Amino acid sequence: MNKRTILIVDDEAHVIRVLRLMLERSGYAVISAADGNEALEKMAAQRPDVLVTDIQMDGMDGRELCRTVRARYPESPFLILVMTSRTGADERDWVRALANIEFLEKPLSPRQLVARLAANFYVASTPENPHVR
Amino acid sequence: MSADALTDLDYTRYARWLRRLTGVDHDWAIVDAGGAAPFTSRPDSALPALVPALRDGGFTWPCAGDGMQRHDHVQGILLYLPIDTRAGRIGYVAVCAGATDAALHGWDALAETLEDIVAGIKDELAARAELDGMAQELAERYEELHMVYAIDQQVQQLDAGAGLFEKLLQSWAGHMHADVAAFVKPGENLCVHATNLSAPIHNLDLVLVEMRGDLYRFVHSSRAPIVINATHDARRAYIFTDLPFKLLCCPVMHDKVVVAILVLVNHLDKPDFSNSDRKLAELLANQLSSLSRMVGMLAETNKFNAQMAAALIEAVEAKDPYTRGHSERVHHIAMQIGAALRLGEKDTDDLFWGSLLHDVGKIGIPDAVLCKPGRLTRDEFTFIMVHPERSYEILRHIDRLQGAVPGARHHQEKYDGTGYPHGLKGNDIPFNARIIAVADTYDSITSSRAYRAGRSHEVAMAEIARCCGTQLDPGVVRAFEQVCAAEPEWIARFHIQRDPAPPLLDVPG
Repeated sequence: MNKRTILIVDDEAHVIRVLRLMLERSGYAVISAADGNEALEKMAAQRPDVLVTDIQMDGMDGRELCRTVRARYPESPFLILVMTSRTGADERDWVRALANIEFLEKPLSPRQLVARLAANFYVASTPENPHVR
Repeated sequence: MSADALTDLDYTRYARWLRRLTGVDHDWAIVDAGGAAPFTSRPDSALPALVPALRDGGFTWPCAGDGMQRHDHVQGILLYLPIDTRAGRIGYVAVCAGATDAALHGWDALAETLEDIVAGIKDELAARAELDGMAQELAERYEELHMVYAIDQQVQQLDAGAGLFEKLLQSWAGHMHADVAAFVKPGENLCVHATNLSAPIHNLDLVLVEMRGDLYRFVHSSRAPIVINATHDARRAYIFTDLPFKLLCCPVMHDKVVVAILVLVNHLDKPDFSNSDRKLAELLANQLSSLSRMVGMLAETNKFNAQMAAALIEAVEAKDPYTRGHSERVHHIAMQIGAALRLGEKDTDDLFWGSLLHDVGKIGIPDAVLCKPGRLTRDEFTFIMVHPERSYEILRHIDRLQGAVPGARHHQEKYDGTGYPHGLKGNDIPFNARIIAVADTYDSITSSRAYRAGRSHEVAMAEIARCCGTQLDPGVVRAFEQVCAAEPEWIARFHIQRDPAPPLLDVPG
């Protein structure tokens, strides 16, 4: 069976560890990266179905990663979930120009993430969205 | 341990190990309990085909003793060692040894190495299980932390208005994935609930009755959280009898006494309430404890304020029975004008108290003057003129009324500057005072006094229109006329006289 692939980008190993476990238990294939550059390398090898990324990271941060991904793969606007502790609206302005980006509040609720992904793939698998596999 | 635990390990270093220690490039594989081979040492390994063939021939991996096992079959010899974990036997390390093996003499070394490999695999699996357990635990902590932050944020943004508990419960039901969240406080006859239903509940009323009754009594005496998941839980004989729900209930304590309970209810097909859920619910119950105490104190303070104000007004009205109800009426009308003028929250609050207490200074006017029928002498009128200043002197001692005092102090000022006590003019008169002045004028005309009966609404409106711009602020008068144009219910309630409308003139065509 073809598993959905989730790419998790976070510089904190424990976050990746926990999310990997929860997502694998929910039947997803998980790849991970510690910053934006590594994420882009992994993405060049395999395009994920959803990207989950932190904002604050050494190297390429989450914002830059999102911009680069949208610019590099305009044909596949897969969902990007950005994990952020900042809830202020001004902190979210930068996504206005980018498609299909949503926020998850840190400290993250793994359950919420699983539910969010399930909702995403439920919508994606209905016939009105033929471009999603 | 999951069934496919063997699939995720890296076996290449074990293969290197075996090659180095035995000096032979064995054809070996990891075979799981189902007979599949997640790892083979060589791409052309015979084992993936051999294992099912052996199984079809009735081979069941018999193991005698601890060591390496041997099975002779038509094509050769199979050597194997079981991989046992706490969860049971999950697979085997199997080696294809060929028919007549030249390396027979090397089997001791092979057996030892296989044992080491199995031990290594078991260690790896145990470490992984432990790590998964810790990650699982960590996930629970994340969940808790996420919720604590959310609650903290929510409580900070809270205003203690109506629907406070409903709003909280609604979001908690969401966070906790509970079908029903309820806050039951029988002492105040309070039973607030919110639902986040995963499936319909037809007998929600019955569930709430249960909460108010047996469940509350049970927790009140046990003073500890209770969690009921299993259908055969013995406590179901007393609580939630026959109700197909899982239950998590925490006491809400004030000074070591249970005063209320927080209840979360789930359909039976949802996951059990966990320890983590219980801890979170206890935290929520603590929040509820301080919040409900705060709300109680706020309600008490508000009541106290209103009663103190009522007592003050009573003191004024006791002196001058003819003005009975005046403060209340002026207050009511002023608030209506304030609403029509769309005053902000702060100004509205100031107007509330200012209009209610505007005449408090009358306490200082001698009865002979206050209740005198007929015209006052110049000296007597001096007494009247000090009353707003008196109001100020009385009210200024109350910090809470700082903003309300100017409205009371200047309600007798006139727009053209001919009023008292300070002769302020136009916009120098505090806005609230200009509002109170209009309401006060209206009530003075329409209510009965010691020396005359009250006049009609129409007379009052005409008089107000006449004074508009000289004594009264035109903006406020316009707002008041707007209020009256809608024929508000208080005209009848205050028993204000009405003049019959002038007959429409028949205009001959």
